[in-house]
Amino acid sequence: MKLRRLQVEQLRQFRQPFVLDDLQPGLNLIHGPNESGKSTLVRAIRAAFFERYRTSSVDDLRPWGDSAAAPTITLDFDARHKSWHLVKSFLQRKRCDLKIDSDSYSEDEAEEKLAELLGFQFSAKGVSKPEHWGVPGLLWVEQGTGQNIEQAVAHAGDHLKSALNALVGEVASTGGDELIEQVRARWSELFTPTGKPRGDYQKLEKEREEHQQDIDELQGRVQKYQEQVDRLGKLAQDFERTEKERPWEDAERQLEQAKERYRQVEKLEQEQARERESLAHLQRNQQLLRQNRAQLESLNRKLEARRTELDKAQRELDQAEARSPSITGTVKEAKAAYDAAVKQLDQARLQETRARLEQEIRRLEQQNQALTDNLKKARRYQQDLEQAREQARQNQIDADAVKTLKNTERQLNDEAIRSQTIATRLTWQLEPGASLALNDENLQGQGEKQLLEESSLAIPGVGTLGIAPGGEDLASTRRRLSTLEQGLAGQMKSLGVTSTQQAEQRLTACEAAERTLQHTRELLKSVAAGGIDQLLADQKEIDGQLQTAKTELQNSPQPGQQPRVTDVASAEAERTKAETRLAEAEAEERRHQTDLLTRRQTRDNARAEWQQLQDEVHNPKHQEQLQKLSTELADIEQKQGRLEAALQARDQEIREAHPAILRQDIERYQRSISNLRQAQEERQRELRDIQVRLEAWGAEGLEEQLNEKIAELEQCNRRYQELHRRAQALDLLLTLLTEKRQALTRRLQAPLQKHLDHYLSLLFPQATLEVDEHLRPGTFTRGTELGQIAELSFGAREQMGLISRLAYADLLQEAGRPTLVILDDTLVHSDTDRLEDMKRILFDAANRHQILLFTCHPEKWSDLGVVPRDIQAMKKQG
Amino acid sequence: MPKFLHTADWQMGRAFSRFETEDGAALVEARFEAIEKLARLANEHQCDAVLVAGDVFDAQTVSDRTIRRVFNATREFTGPWVMLPGNHDAALVESVWTRAERLGAVPGNVQLALEPGVITLEAEGLAILCAPLTQRNTYSDLTETFSNTETPESLCRVGLAHGSVQGLLPEEIDSTNPILPNRAETARLDYLALGDWHGTKQIDERTWYSGTPEPERFRNNGAGYALIVNLPEPGAVPEVTAVETARYQWHQWRETLTVESDLDQLLDRLRALPEPSVVDLRLEGSVTLAGEEKLVNALSVAEARFRSIQCDRSELQLAPTDDDIAALKADGYVGEVIEQLRTRQQDDNAEAARDALAILAGLLKDRKQEASE
Repeated sequence: MKLRRLQVEQLRQFRQPFVLDDLQPGLNLIHGPNESGKSTLVRAIRAAFFERYRTSSVDDLRPWGDSAAAPTITLDFDARHKSWHLVKSFLQRKRCDLKIDSDSYSEDEAEEKLAELLGFQFSAKGVSKPEHWGVPGLLWVEQGTGQNIEQAVAHAGDHLKSALNALVGEVASTGGDELIEQVRARWSELFTPTGKPRGDYQKLEKEREEHQQDIDELQGRVQKYQEQVDRLGKLAQDFERTEKERPWEDAERQLEQAKERYRQVEKLEQEQARERESLAHLQRNQQLLRQNRAQLESLNRKLEARRTELDKAQRELDQAEARSPSITGTVKEAKAAYDAAVKQLDQARLQETRARLEQEIRRLEQQNQALTDNLKKARRYQQDLEQAREQARQNQIDADAVKTLKNTERQLNDEAIRSQTIATRLTWQLEPGASLALNDENLQGQGEKQLLEESSLAIPGVGTLGIAPGGEDLASTRRRLSTLEQGLAGQMKSLGVTSTQQAEQRLTACEAAERTLQHTRELLKSVAAGGIDQLLADQKEIDGQLQTAKTELQNSPQPGQQPRVTDVASAEAERTKAETRLAEAEAEERRHQTDLLTRRQTRDNARAEWQQLQDEVHNPKHQEQLQKLSTELADIEQKQGRLEAALQARDQEIREAHPAILRQDIERYQRSISNLRQAQEERQRELRDIQVRLEAWGAEGLEEQLNEKIAELEQCNRRYQELHRRAQALDLLLTLLTEKRQALTRRLQAPLQKHLDHYLSLLFPQATLEVDEHLRPGTFTRGTELGQIAELSFGAREQMGLISRLAYADLLQEAGRPTLVILDDTLVHSDTDRLEDMKRILFDAANRHQILLFTCHPEKWSDLGVVPRDIQAMKKQG
Repeated sequence: MPKFLHTADWQMGRAFSRFETEDGAALVEARFEAIEKLARLANEHQCDAVLVAGDVFDAQTVSDRTIRRVFNATREFTGPWVMLPGNHDAALVESVWTRAERLGAVPGNVQLALEPGVITLEAEGLAILCAPLTQRNTYSDLTETFSNTETPESLCRVGLAHGSVQGLLPEEIDSTNPILPNRAETARLDYLALGDWHGTKQIDERTWYSGTPEPERFRNNGAGYALIVNLPEPGAVPEVTAVETARYQWHQWRETLTVESDLDQLLDRLRALPEPSVVDLRLEGSVTLAGEEKLVNALSVAEARFRSIQCDRSELQLAPTDDDIAALKADGYVGEVIEQLRTRQQDDNAEAARDALAILAGLLKDRKQEASE
């Protein structure tokens, strides 16, 4: 479709006719500032197609305040290889005239032609709304709606699909989607969205199970009932048979027989027991008799034994007595040896005492001599000590005072020397004989004198010369000198010396005496530590001891004549040995005595016992007894033999009768009888029980109930099967329909996808934009990005919207549909780079479609390769 | 000249699970009515006695109500009834019979043959040799004792037994409760009244199965009768007349539809059936959409007419013609789906495909109707 010319008149701001002609087959850029009428032109094109000429709802077309206006739009365009001329007037003059080549149409017919050509609907009432716009709604983009693609696609849906159908030769099924929805609705009555049974379908499934359970239970009960009936039959039969046969009576008879047999055996057993007891009695008696006899016979043997014992005792006694003399002798010898040893010991002790005393006396005498020497020495040292002490006392002087004195003297000397240096020196050399009197001192010969004070020199003969020594400190010197002199004199006086030398001598003498004193004291101490008195006392004591020892020696007896043979220790040892030997001998003797006594006692006892038995054995009564016993024993043995034979015979008899088995028989028969009777009673009881039970169960009509339940189950089953079949059918149908629908969609999507990919590769290389089943752009991927268009930025969405619309235009054109793209101030949100890409895209699309691009920013589109057309300018020209 | 009515296999207490509750109840009710009818017939034909050859009850534990109703239904005929326990109601030590006696439900004129032996109906001139089942199943011929049983010369010897005559009956899988085929002859019976086979069947001139008086299943043709037996004198050949007693006729048809006229023929036959019918149809072959519609309509009519009609169409393929599809205006992928469903009817899951096709056709038709409105 190619729009060639557009004329508007009495339409909004275009009160006068305005013509936009020479429109190019490709891109047309129409610009003008705001309010210049761009949007009005777009609105005019829309109105010419979409609005019914006879509608009154297009007041917005009327120029402001002009109620008499008849807004008129005239369009010239080529489509379907024909030339179309459309004149449409609204409001005051409602008309529509269409001329296609030479054919003229008017009014509604004309409008139908337009709708059919472009693919849109008219509004039944009022102004045309987006849902009516169809294909132009998709390709004619109003200002600011470029990004809203989904609605537009939905409104154009049928036209798009029919275009696609034409293109791929498919039939999309009339109302197929609606059919799917219907099937789905029916399917949903039976299934949950996840495909599980629901509602009756699910309920029946459950009911079936419940019925089956009831049936199982009833069947169980019926079976039990039948079992009980069978049991009852068998029991009744058994009971009657038993009642007739009475098997216990047989057993009772057998029991009686067994009991009788057992009684007989019992009698035998009792007899046996009695005789066995007699036998035991006999045996006991026999044993006693035998014992008695044995006892009697044993006496003789005992007598002999006692004789032997007596002899032996006598022998032993004799032996012991024979040993007595030798033992007594041994004791005597030992005693003598012991006495000798004691004497020897005494002698040795005496000798030792005397030797000890003599030694003691010698030691004391030596000690006494030493003490005497020490005493002598001590007395001499004492004397020396006294002398030294006297010496020291005489020369007693204070060492410090002597030192002070010496110091004072040195100061005085020093002062004297100084005074001489400052003193007036008077020298003289007198003629022999000549003298002078100085201060009444006579001077002769030659000499010299220092004068410290006013002096008078009387020269004989001449008179007296007064000499007054000069110098200022002479006086102080003199005074000091005098002070020192006085001090010296005082000190010497207090020390009691006349000179310093003396003082020192005294000090030396004193120190020497002190040393002597010390030395002598040490010596004294060495000989008499405790003093002389102590020494004297010691001497006296020693003396005393000496005297005592001497007296003792004198008093001790003189040792015997025999020579000293041994020392005390050996003698002591000798004695101890002798003592031991004596003790041994004596012990031996004592033992011997005891032995003797014992043996004698033993001999006596043996003799007494032997005597006693001798008496007894030889008693006549004893012999008689022995004889009687023998007779009795023989009698008993005979009786015993008889009894044993009888017992053995009876024992045999009893064994053959098997009493234990008989007892078991009795028990067995008793038990059998009791069991048989009990079993019968048990049967009777069970019969009654089962009878009662069956009556109760029978009244329930179990099998009839079961039949009814089975009927219910089958009905339930039938209903379920119906639903199940329907469910299967619906499932199959829905699956098939959906599959086919999807397959179709996939086929339809392909051509659109091709065109979309073409533009997308120019805008976003490596990106994909998938077309969904409703032919809408759906999932967008770019690198790792994945999402829906709606999630993109406004600018990107607008660009996507535009390329999608161009893709639809390509698709429509390919299907032989007319395409006209109108863009009203679009892509205002695109940045420079993107806009550049979009320009390439638009230029590319313009090769196939006529594009009217309205803008108020002509500078942005200057490189579009077309001449921009200025509305303002055209208005002026107009 | 004794005359009696021979019947058997009442199977009272049976439920009819394959039918809807309402229909099942009606069929049960019909069985009680059948007893009443038997009593009426006995009166009408001036019978001296009614002999029931076993399986009066379907089970041992039927409800008390059923027991009472059975005996109540016999009321109209006041002559003697002899009832023989069969395999379903064997005379066990505790049985439906002992219960009936305990309940006091058994009228004086009804004699229960609970033990083998002879029931003498002196006045009626009949000696009934009874071989009741005292176990659920036996493998010995209970009628054997008949041969050794003596009866008064003046009375007709009539055997009453329940079981399978050996070697004669078809479909006898198990040979429980066997009966010698020439028992009437060997036991010198004037007549042997048998039960167990549900259709009326003559074994020899003196031996008959009466069959059940009211049919209760689709097989066993010849059910729904009672026998009026006339014994002119002892030793004479009995005159046996079958009288119809059935209320409902049971029909089971297996049909294959190939051409359109097959369906029309079937529907004509269906229309010709009397109202008290129980019908079971199983259809195979294929039918067009139009045919299916016709069939559904006819079945709907039949449901209202008959006691019960059941139709299994799972083997009947839907074969929409091109016209059908065109009429449905199923274009595009819906058309493809129809085509696929049509072919899928040959697969394992044919039933689902068939149903799916029917549903789809229904929906399309509705849409067409809506559109035309």
